[in-house]
Formats: sequence, structure tokens, C-alpha cells
Amino acid sequence: MKLTLKKRFLPWVLCAAVLSLSSCKTQLAPEYDKAIVAGLTDATQKTMYFFATMEEGTTAETYTDRALSYNQLIGAYDALSLQAKARPVPDNVATKKINELLQSKGSDPLSSDYPSAFAFTKISETLKKMREVDQTGGIKPFALLAFKGQVLIFLDQAITYESFLKR
Amino acid sequence: MSDVASIIKDIKDISTTILKKDITIVKGFSERQVEAIAKQTVIITEGVASGDIDEELKKFFFDGLKAMTENFVNTLKGILSVTLEKLYNALVDKLWSIVGSVV
Repeated sequence: MKLTLKKRFLPWVLCAAVLSLSSCKTQLAPEYDKAIVAGLTDATQKTMYFFATMEEGTTAETYTDRALSYNQLIGAYDALSLQAKARPVPDNVATKKINELLQSKGSDPLSSDYPSAFAFTKISETLKKMREVDQTGGIKPFALLAFKGQVLIFLDQAITYESFLKR
Repeated sequence: MSDVASIIKDIKDISTTILKKDITIVKGFSERQVEAIAKQTVIITEGVASGDIDEELKKFFFDGLKAMTENFVNTLKGILSVTLEKLYNALVDKLWSIVGSVV
């Protein structure tokens, strides 16, 4: 009789073990998104090409030659920002515990915003400012270097973070 | 049957493998960012001195420096979250496989 009961309950015990095993896994960061990385790679190449076409600065007279490129790049980064923000932020017991621990030690909690989405927004804002300056009087060499530097730093942040999500 | 010493060794091996790989990436990223932010500061200073960057643009780039520094820290935190997740899940997997082997 005892043996029969054990056999009858064995599948349930195994199921419980499997369920508890799966429930122990945690997710602290969003899923890797192949589409975002592909979009980012494409936008990065186009951005580098765009900067390469105006290495010595620009004049307002030739702005119309670049207007379409500005619009395409700004649109691409705005779309990437939306895509990155659209992913659900993992909200679970483990995250809460880690944040409680960090706060008890006087540190800031883990950010609930995606650094890549922030970077995409900043790149878009930089390109918008660049377009405005280009249109009104042209971009002088040092200003162009500073625009390029700002875009590249935010690009590195976005690329590093998005690539790192591939576990 | 696993003994305490072998479990400790397994946990250490798992932690070392994950942390070594991730720390290499974090180190490379941090060095690139710090160097790039320093260069950006010099470019802005030279641009202001040469007159290529006017007052309005100077404020825009200074705000940019602040934002990129904040986001550099947030990117590191984001990377840390992924590392913690990988570490936690790998250790849970290992511990459960040990427990599972005796069920």
C-alpha cells in the first residue's frame, strides 16, 4: 500500500520540483532584442557616413544637400528610443531586494529606465540641434567635432548596453 | 553525492567564469567612455576659445556632458543588473541540479 501511494505521488513531487526550480530563476534586465540591435547597427553606419561627408564643417548654403539625411537619422533614433522603451521593465522580488540593499548602503537603486533609450533620445536631440545650427549659419569645425563626440559617446553607451543584454 | 568542498568549488568556478568575462567588457567600456568624455571636454574648451562654439552652443554641450556622464553610470548599473542575473541564475541552476540529483 505504501509503495502504491509513493508511486502515485511521485509525478506530483517531480512537477513541484520542476516548478520550484523554474520559479527560482529571475530576470533583472530586459530581454535582448535582435530588431533593436539590427536597427542600431544600421543607424550607426549611416551616422558615421553622414559625419564623414562634412569633416571640415558646413555652410548654410549647402544645408539642403544634408536636410534629408538629418531627417532620416532623427527618425531612426526616435524609432529606436520608442522600441527600447516599449520593452517591459522587469519588476520582481529580486530587483526589490537588491534595491533595498543598495539603498541601505547609501547607493542609488538600479535604474528603472533603459540607458539605451536615454542615449537614443539624446542622439536625436543632438542631431536636431546640429540641423538647426547647420540651417542657420553652418557648423564650424570645433562645433562639428563636439557634435560628433557627443553622438559617439551616447552611441557607445547604447551599443554596449544592448549587446550586453544577449546573455 | 556532492560534498561541501566540491559545491563550494563549483560555486567559485561559476562565479569566476561569469565575472571574469563581464568585468573585461565593463573595463573596456569604462576606459573608452572616460577617455571620450575627457576628449569631449577638451574639444568644447578649444571650441569656445576659438569662437567656433558660441554661448548658446556652449550651454548645449555642457548639458550634454552632464547627461552623458549620468548615462555612463546608468549603463554600468544596467550591465551590473545583467551580470547579477546571470550569476544568480547560474548558481540556482547548479544548486538545484545538486538537490535534484538526490530526489
